[in-house]
Amino acid sequence: MFYQLINFGNEEFHAYPDKSLYWKRLNTLIVSDLHIGKSISYAKNKQFLPPYDTKEILNKIFVSLDKIKPSNLIIVGDLLHDVFSTLSLKDQDHKNLSQYMKNTDFIWIKGNHDENIQIEGFKNLTNYKIDKFLFTHIPIKTSLFQICGHYHPKVKISHRGKTIFKTCFVHNEKIFILPSFGILTGGLDIHSKQISDVLGKNNMSIYPVGQDKVYKL
Amino acid sequence: MNINKSNPLLLHPLNKWMKKKKWSWFPHQIETFHYVRTGSDVVVFAPTGAGKTLTGFINPIDDLIKLKKFKGLHTLYISPLKSLANDIVRNLEKPIKELDLNISFQVRTGDTTPYKKQKQKQKPPNILITTPESLALLNSYENAKEFFHNLKYIIIDEIHTFLDNKRADLLSLNIERLQTFSTNLQRIGLSATLKNKQDAKKWLCRKKPKIVSYENSVLPKIKILESKERIPWSGHMATYSINEIYKEIMKSKLTIIFVNTRAQAEYMFKNLWLINKKKLKIAVHHGSLEKNLRLKVENNLSKGLVDCVVATSSLELGLDYGDVEKIIQVGAPKGINRLLQRVGRSNHNLNIPSKAILVPTNRFEFIEAKAAIEEIKKNKLDKIDLKEGSFDVVAQHIFATACAGQFNINDLYKEIIKAYPYKKLKLNDFKQLINLIQDGGYVLKNYDQFKRIFQLRENKNIYKLVNKRETRKYRMNVGTIIENPMLKIKLGTKTLGNIEEVFIQNLSQGDSFIFAGQVLEFQSMKNNLVQVKRSKSLISKIPSYSGGRMPLSTNLANSVRALLAKSNMWDLYPEQITQWLKRQKNISKIPKKDEYLVEQFPRKKNFYTVIYTFAGWHANQTLGFLLLRGFKEFNYKPLGFVANDYAIVLWSLREAKEIKTILNLGLLDKHLDNYLEETSIVKRLFRDNAIISCLIERRLPGMEKTGKQVLFSSDLIYTVLKKNEPDHILLKSSYEDAKKNMIDYDRLREILKKIDKKIILKKLTSISPLAVPIILEINRENLSKKETDEYILEDLENEILKEANVLSIN
Repeated sequence: MFYQLINFGNEEFHAYPDKSLYWKRLNTLIVSDLHIGKSISYAKNKQFLPPYDTKEILNKIFVSLDKIKPSNLIIVGDLLHDVFSTLSLKDQDHKNLSQYMKNTDFIWIKGNHDENIQIEGFKNLTNYKIDKFLFTHIPIKTSLFQICGHYHPKVKISHRGKTIFKTCFVHNEKIFILPSFGILTGGLDIHSKQISDVLGKNNMSIYPVGQDKVYKL
Repeated sequence: MNINKSNPLLLHPLNKWMKKKKWSWFPHQIETFHYVRTGSDVVVFAPTGAGKTLTGFINPIDDLIKLKKFKGLHTLYISPLKSLANDIVRNLEKPIKELDLNISFQVRTGDTTPYKKQKQKQKPPNILITTPESLALLNSYENAKEFFHNLKYIIIDEIHTFLDNKRADLLSLNIERLQTFSTNLQRIGLSATLKNKQDAKKWLCRKKPKIVSYENSVLPKIKILESKERIPWSGHMATYSINEIYKEIMKSKLTIIFVNTRAQAEYMFKNLWLINKKKLKIAVHHGSLEKNLRLKVENNLSKGLVDCVVATSSLELGLDYGDVEKIIQVGAPKGINRLLQRVGRSNHNLNIPSKAILVPTNRFEFIEAKAAIEEIKKNKLDKIDLKEGSFDVVAQHIFATACAGQFNINDLYKEIIKAYPYKKLKLNDFKQLINLIQDGGYVLKNYDQFKRIFQLRENKNIYKLVNKRETRKYRMNVGTIIENPMLKIKLGTKTLGNIEEVFIQNLSQGDSFIFAGQVLEFQSMKNNLVQVKRSKSLISKIPSYSGGRMPLSTNLANSVRALLAKSNMWDLYPEQITQWLKRQKNISKIPKKDEYLVEQFPRKKNFYTVIYTFAGWHANQTLGFLLLRGFKEFNYKPLGFVANDYAIVLWSLREAKEIKTILNLGLLDKHLDNYLEETSIVKRLFRDNAIISCLIERRLPGMEKTGKQVLFSSDLIYTVLKKNEPDHILLKSSYEDAKKNMIDYDRLREILKKIDKKIILKKLTSISPLAVPIILEINRENLSKKETDEYILEDLENEILKEANVLSIN
């Protein structure tokens, strides 16, 4: 799998088409907005989405961990969709997770969806600081470089008479926003007010995610 | 029966009124009256102007008068359009008021106020005029049984529009429900003339089925526009003939110009306006225009306040515009029934022939127009193919049934298979649809505690809705018509209509486009409203609307082939057409009626293969893709293909020498799944299926989803489902829909079955005259969406990299 090289805060990051980000120097894998159990949460409102999202998200994570073998895995919020989500985690899933946690430190940052949820054996933090970098679900006022999630960024690309929407990694000088790692999760245009309020309008570096490759615009 | 012996209608309550109007009863009215009175279900076939509506009401009115002060609902009248329903009420009002008959009647559609609807339920009128969707809603109420238990007649107007689509499926299920409520119910269908009358009878009638038919002896006068200009090789816009069309408008009091697409309507309107020196009153009418604008045009049309209206199929059905003198059909007729329907819009008088002019926009269309005229002279009509009912509609019906109260699944199944489209519905599929409504019907049982309907513990065959709130969701989602994601266009505070979101996405601020006959400048998009202002720009785009592309009917296609082969007719054609065909005969060949001409020639370093199938656009598009696969297998290195109604052209780096070996039924069996997989056809149909079966909602009170979001999440659902549960009933349903509607599977199969013995292969040194039109249509890439996306990204990235003078990444 090809990755796209991204320089952010004078550090080398690798963006993968599976929507994970790898921090080379600290051998750390970063993902965001998994929204595990979104389907079960919709089911309580009688919208019966295929109940396979949890299985697929976990598989994706495990494939990535097997390949990269990072020392740390940082989840930048919204690991779970809501309090019902834990219902979709089977015993086997818990066992698998514990297995992976033997070799990799899991750092779970709270998101707006999962700030009040507990999973046995997991600790969740409001945010997490390493060197001059702050991992937080939603960016805050700080002089640190921030790596966040929350917005599920997508970019609208019009080229040669065609328009497409693509999930993307996006950052400005100080703030990096990850795409959603989830399966049934939607997205928000990076030129929407919510995102431009955070990143500003003009200094965005945009990396659309393609089939087997992350592009750079 | 001998209608001369006695006319029982002379004793009918309406006879007095007929006499006053100096009208006499039609034979088909007498016949219908007799059959219905003696207990038959009847389909009546008659042309416009032959008192069709009245025919439907003869028995109900007679019965109601005899019953004296009948209380409650007696007759239900189903109309395909809301606007038609209102028109019916106006027509019914005249005799009932004038004769002071004691019969109450009302209309009930989506436009009826909740207050009025409530009153109708408390005190139903004798006659209720409604639409299939409103009927489905009525059947979903708890008191539906009491409401309908005395129903005597159901009349289906324009039944020919209900025979081959999902709306028909929905209606058929609801008619069977009414029959369960009221076993005495009799059915009356009213139809335009059809080729396969027996099929319409099978679809509707149960009790002593009868057909009543009235053929019009006065044939319409149809001719092809005689143009001094050159008819183009290719294209669909008729720009060449605009001045001659304008002259035709001037010659008549009131003209309707029918075109085949909304884009053509806007284009034609714009071009007429540019040459409108006489300041004629010209208007445009199509389905995307705001209702008020459409009503205004319709109103002006019926009052004769305009000189010409450019319209799409939006003006095809129903309303009687008495003063229309002439119809101009621009573009291919595509089918006989459709052309007749359009031509019938002029002169609603049985004894005067309708007048119409056909304007072919390219050379093949000239032959097609000619063929259509011949067929109409011979009174040969298209067949409407009855289709097996769709699964998603059954799912919606199950939900509706649950809303009306607890139900026994065995009883429901027995009722459903009485409906003609569902005669072959398997019990196992039905059960899967029950599960779909219950909890999505997935193999992985994750949702046991969230079910929408559940089995009673004491009787596993009885299901019940989990709570009342769900009825509201059903009612928000009823119906089978799913629009593409549309956005409202606002000029100032005025709404002009709806435009496809896809079109707007391709616009930048300041771009101008034509809509509702005006040049507009795109300003901004906020809260799903497209704000525009008037523009004086001369360069403007025309919104395209996906879908609705009608393929050439099989009947007309056969006629085109036959006509093409008749070389003794050629001299009667315009010089340019004659020359075109003669040159083709000399250089290559004109295929005989049952032959399939295949031409191969080199051109610009590539090898071209053109196959003239006359199979219609859908089938040709499918065949093109299958051949692409076949060519790949034989290592001809194919580069692309283009299909139209008549032919397919493929181009490849190597010559396709074994074309005769490739072109057979095996091609279809081998590559079809692959085709459905790679193109977005099934995915797009899955969205409709998911909405119709109420798996995902169109909208919820207080949570208006935009079209975009629905599309987006249904794509994700499709991908996840396909990967994890490829046998899921909704995937099966979408696949069946694709076979039925999008790819003309049966038609293609028929052709491929016999094609190998009838191929005439011509190896040429260069392009043939017949191939020119389709070669000119080669202008787009034939890549799947996935590939296109990657291509766009790749290309854009390279451009930027070039600009930045960076050589590579990684």
